[in-house]
Amino acid sequence: MEITMREEGSVAVFNLKGRLDLASGSQLKGEVKKLFEKKLTFVHLNLAEVEFINSSGLGSMVSIMKEIRLIKGRLTLSNLASYVQEIFDITQLSHIFEIFQSEEEALASFQSAVSS
Amino acid sequence: MPVYTLVYSSVPESEDQMINDLDRIMTANRVDTDIRRCISLAVSEAFANAVTHGNLQNPAKLVKIDLQVNKSEIIADVRDEGRGGLERIKARKPAAPLAESGRGIDLMKHSVSSVDFRESDSGGLIVSIRLVRQTEQKMNG
Repeated sequence: MEITMREEGSVAVFNLKGRLDLASGSQLKGEVKKLFEKKLTFVHLNLAEVEFINSSGLGSMVSIMKEIRLIKGRLTLSNLASYVQEIFDITQLSHIFEIFQSEEEALASFQSAVSS
Repeated sequence: MPVYTLVYSSVPESEDQMINDLDRIMTANRVDTDIRRCISLAVSEAFANAVTHGNLQNPAKLVKIDLQVNKSEIIADVRDEGRGGLERIKARKPAAPLAESGRGIDLMKHSVSSVDFRESDSGGLIVSIRLVRQTEQKMNG
């Protein structure tokens, strides 16, 4: 899986491309952990180009979410393809994660949270 | 019905190669995208279980997949070289909301027509996955 990261203000935005599974899930966890060393605690994952996700990939995302919560951060997701959204729905993880239709909406929610 | 046999070492990195091989076989058999996603998901779940829970990520142990593809159905048998797999399946409980594992079997069952579990002669787990092609499309495209 290809992982690119950029900073949008205080939010680290990851664009994921490819498959999110056992090996790439570990790769993603490693990339997110690097942020904590830089004191970045707001993370957004754009899944527009994720073509495949299985339970191992989901497990990695749950692990990331738990770590971010521990440090009082926030994690959002966006741009899930319909079949990826369905996997989140089947596993009821759509109730656990903050999922937005678009990256713009997700980033705007971080702005709103900071303002309030 | 052509039968494909795929064999992998029990390391996490094998999963990517396995999915590539599966994709190649699906392309050769002109399997459409929706069906391809369903079978790839189910087989990858069985594969991950075999690597992690069956073979304990021991590179010396193998996961073997026997795959049959025809116009009406796709059948995959995923075998590990571990022990106690059937007992683990019977004893499993639903994943807690924040659990990092335990969702694979439910996803597997949701994405294909049937999933069965049995033990091989040597004690390893065999997961038999069957997907009817013509009438069922369980995952949206």
